[in-house]
Amino acid sequence: MESSSSPSNDPAPAKTNSSRDKMRHFPQEVQEAFRTFEATRNPDALDPVILAILDDFIPKKTEVPLSTFPGSTRLIEDLGFDSLAITEVVFFSEELLNISIGNEELMQVRTLEDLRGFIRKKVSPAPVA
Amino acid sequence: MVRLPVITGLGFVTSIGHDRSTVVSSLRELRHGFEPHQFLNNPDLPVKVAGTLKGFSFPSPSWRDWSWPAQFSVDRELLRGLPPHGVYAMCAMQQALQEAGLKAADLAGGDTGLFCASAGSPYLLSHFVQDMHATRGQRGNPMGIISSIAGTLNFNLAAFYKISGAVCGFVSACASSSHALGYAMDEIRLGRQKRMLVVGAEDMTDESILSFASLRALSINSDPGSASRPFDRRRDGFVGTGGAVALVVEEAGLARERGARIQAELVGWGQAGDGHSVAASHPEGAGLREAMRRTLADGGVEPGDVDYVNAHATSTPAGDRSEALALNAVFTRNNARPKVSSTKALTGHGLSLAGAMEAAFCVLALDEGFIPGCAHLEQIDPICEGLDLPLRSLNEAPSLVLNNSSGFGGSNVCHLLRKAG
Repeated sequence: MESSSSPSNDPAPAKTNSSRDKMRHFPQEVQEAFRTFEATRNPDALDPVILAILDDFIPKKTEVPLSTFPGSTRLIEDLGFDSLAITEVVFFSEELLNISIGNEELMQVRTLEDLRGFIRKKVSPAPVA
Repeated sequence: MVRLPVITGLGFVTSIGHDRSTVVSSLRELRHGFEPHQFLNNPDLPVKVAGTLKGFSFPSPSWRDWSWPAQFSVDRELLRGLPPHGVYAMCAMQQALQEAGLKAADLAGGDTGLFCASAGSPYLLSHFVQDMHATRGQRGNPMGIISSIAGTLNFNLAAFYKISGAVCGFVSACASSSHALGYAMDEIRLGRQKRMLVVGAEDMTDESILSFASLRALSINSDPGSASRPFDRRRDGFVGTGGAVALVVEEAGLARERGARIQAELVGWGQAGDGHSVAASHPEGAGLREAMRRTLADGGVEPGDVDYVNAHATSTPAGDRSEALALNAVFTRNNARPKVSSTKALTGHGLSLAGAMEAAFCVLALDEGFIPGCAHLEQIDPICEGLDLPLRSLNEAPSLVLNNSSGFGGSNVCHLLRKAG
């Protein structure tokens, strides 16, 4: 009898392949960070991934890497994101991380630090009641 | 005050070239733009040829995977909302503005309008809708609608070039960009705008082209050298293509004032419906006949004044027949014998793009002094008796040319262009 938990039958690998496919245009170290996250579910590993997603959708490239900006940097006012680019970041993140982000949640995200914290919360396992 | 619309810039992304000089030499030498093409990776399909856009690649719906020839640049901010034909359009616009001696900043301020035509992007729309079903409506690409519906060209180009004059898209299938150019002429003539940008474009994707196979409208001739042969007795359907053509239309006074070179004058246009069928042309070409007559009247010329007609003829058995009858009614019966050719024998049928593309070819003929010949025409259909169909391109400089277009539902649109005076 085939085990339903066999990796070959689990739908998860398909999702993983799909995620890798979505990330194939990112730098190698970002892809590695994502693999680490997938293996460990440690949200710390997601930081470079989040910055890479922002860098991918930012309407005008910044002169210095996004990683050098402080956490208080505002997405719209300081980095030049518009509402369309933010919806693209949301859509990509939802697909990649298998999360759902509501409009009202999105309204609370204004800075790099807000976004980082928000996504960490979203991917963390729900606390056991 | 009579306001004369003139052409000061052209841009091309076509199966026969992505720049003016390549397009001119392709038209002069009758060099076609067809290649074998396997639709939907299915070798069993009978349709095997397409008018390909060399150097452009759209292997996935994601713009990250897209590429275009190195001589063009497409702004990253714009790219996210573009369909494949929007990329072609940007490349064509860059050429047209350069020819016209205009910078993007010259287009803001309200004196410049933008009329576009495309059928949208069935390629991107189908992926967007598939994703919507797959997620049961819970997720979707934010740019899905913007990049795919008819109108995507005007959404994107108007925002990018900061156009605050008239902005509109036209949808009349294969007459769409001819309508765009005709109404752009009216904007200038009525004094509403001093300058109009006219862009026709279409994806070159399986989704855009193969859909016509279900109508049995596509050629199943697998030889790129003869699949598109308008007015030939053996024609069996059209060969699909995509691309983009951009035209800068200006009021003659403005063009002269700023020292722009006038390539041709737009002296008339007209349209008429067939009132006949949702898809098939009128068997006698009634609407096209009337559209030609109205166009000649609008330009104040007689049939005998016309030197060359760029026919709509797509290489379908019924459509070419209707047009041949209409041409004979308007010209031959009035003892007029303009040269007639369909450049779709070289490019393929660009659908919404066709009218603007062929109007631009008419400008080239007037400006460079030649008449494109009838490529691949060997056995002239007897229905064409009376028409002057040159088998080679001619080193004859036409002074007055007519451009014909017809679309689904029997929309027929013509333009009359004159050599710059």
